[in-house]
Amino acid sequence: MDDIIICRCREVTRSEIIAAIRDGAVTVDGVKRRTHAGMGLCQGKTCGRLIERLIAQETGINPAEIRPQKSRMPVRPVRISSFGGENSDAEQ
Amino acid sequence: MRNSDVVIIGGGIIGCSTAWQLAKKGKSVIILERNDVLSGAAGATDGVVGYHTKKPGQQMELAIQSIRMFDTLEEELGEPIEYGKCAGGMQPVEDKMQWDILSGIVEEQCRSGVDIRMISAEEARRIEPQLSENIYGALYSPTGGKINPLKLTLAYFHAAKRLGAEFIGRSEVTGFVIEDGVCKGVRTRDEEYRAGAVVNCCGAWAGKVAALAGLSLPIRPRKGQLAVTEPVGPFMKATIQCARYNVIKFRPETITDENILRYGSSLSIEQQEDGAMIIGGTREFADYEEENTFAAIDTMIKRAARFFPLLENVSVIRFFSGFRPYTPDGMPLLGPVSRLPGFYMAAGHEGDGIALSPVTGKLMAEYIADGKPTYNIDAFSPDRFLSEPSA
Ligand SMILES: Cc1cc2nc3c(=O)[nH]c(=O)nc-3n(C[C@H](O)[C@H](O)[C@H](O)COP(=O)(O)OP(=O)(O)OC[C@H]3O[C@@H](n4cnc5c(N)ncnc54)[C@H](O)[C@@H]3O)c2cc1C
Ligand code: FES
Repeated sequence: MDDIIICRCREVTRSEIIAAIRDGAVTVDGVKRRTHAGMGLCQGKTCGRLIERLIAQETGINPAEIRPQKSRMPVRPVRISSFGGENSDAEQ
Repeated sequence: MRNSDVVIIGGGIIGCSTAWQLAKKGKSVIILERNDVLSGAAGATDGVVGYHTKKPGQQMELAIQSIRMFDTLEEELGEPIEYGKCAGGMQPVEDKMQWDILSGIVEEQCRSGVDIRMISAEEARRIEPQLSENIYGALYSPTGGKINPLKLTLAYFHAAKRLGAEFIGRSEVTGFVIEDGVCKGVRTRDEEYRAGAVVNCCGAWAGKVAALAGLSLPIRPRKGQLAVTEPVGPFMKATIQCARYNVIKFRPETITDENILRYGSSLSIEQQEDGAMIIGGTREFADYEEENTFAAIDTMIKRAARFFPLLENVSVIRFFSGFRPYTPDGMPLLGPVSRLPGFYMAAGHEGDGIALSPVTGKLMAEYIADGKPTYNIDAFSPDRFLSEPSA
């Protein structure tokens, strides 16, 4: 049971996430920075909720109080070439 | 009420390093952290450990002391911190003006005996073949290295705890216990912590925390925005900033474009062990507003593609931001505050806090445990920003 994978993109198991919470993580970002769960291609869309639930379960913190991940702009990966274009500050 | 030899406020990289060094000296330590160990700047930073981004003079000398410690740090801490000297540190230069400015700074930096040189565009491209052909030359520091800042912070944190330091998360310091002009401890919402020494390690928030003790210190948040790409194959080895990074840091008066000044837009870029590229480089005054802004991201991504054209085909998957603890003279505040015995500062490292974390912890612990550090840090005294107490 402890070895089920919670973050599929980065292959992080439930037991690794529990260990991070016991190490002091109280937010999804705290778990992410310790285990890399949530840093995969889907950026936590699949695993974020599960991690929140584990934090609530392990720490007794009210789930509503657990801070979700910090906001980040792209909804899906964006090509670097799609930035800027005109008036690029490059050539000056 | 709780008692300990030392209370550390702020469990970032500086607080954890200081706690570890104090615990090694046998002191009982309590670390009070508002959130969690990686919730400040150490959780949102690059990991450049090099000389070429250091201000010539005292800051450079301190960096030399600190960087020397990295050689044995992993072994002492007992956890991997991914310290690598890789291919050094580089700053590609765009034009003659940048070349001249950097050459001048390099000359001053080299007075401390560090190896930093100006090299030709061809040499730079030999070291980093993906660099654009369209550069004028580069600054190069062959000994520049990098570290994984998350792992380093956690390693200090774990080592301190193993030696008995107590870490209390979700505990914001809201006030100080001051008796007869002496700092005797701090208060959180539900507890009072008394100690012989209180150390303010609150990074970009250190000014606010000092204000709770009636001290006005000029530490302000200087925001940096970062973007992370999808993992790619081996792309670059060095840690790279564009030359404008040092120009903005040391000679801001030479920049006339207001947009560049507002965002402090220069490029910093490095590849992590997992293949992802971390692109960053803004230095903004935006209070504590952590949202990413399109304008800032746009300029730094464009600069990434300007220096590394092949990146055009790579995708960005995440943005975040962090707050560097800025001080007006670019140097941290380290040591006791004469006006308030019992109160110490270890904050204000701006963009150098990862690299300076080993020596900061060591010297602070010496100050507190032995009364005097083994290396003179009077130039960093917080007193330089405090005028004489009004009677
Ligand atoms: C984008 C960016 C890139 C950078 N790149 C580099 C680099 O390449 N190399 C380098 O050496 N440095 C770099 N830095 C700088 C480095 O990250 C910082 O100097 C360093 O992390 C500061 O550490 P700190 O422990 O002082 O502050 P922080 O890590 O911010 O820790 C301060 C802690 O204090 C806590 N706190 C605040 N108020 C209270 C309170 N009232 N009670 C209890 N706790 C409180 C906070 O929650 C926080 O955890 C960079 C920074 C940024 C933002
Ligand atoms: S499942 Fe965790 S990042 Fe995608």
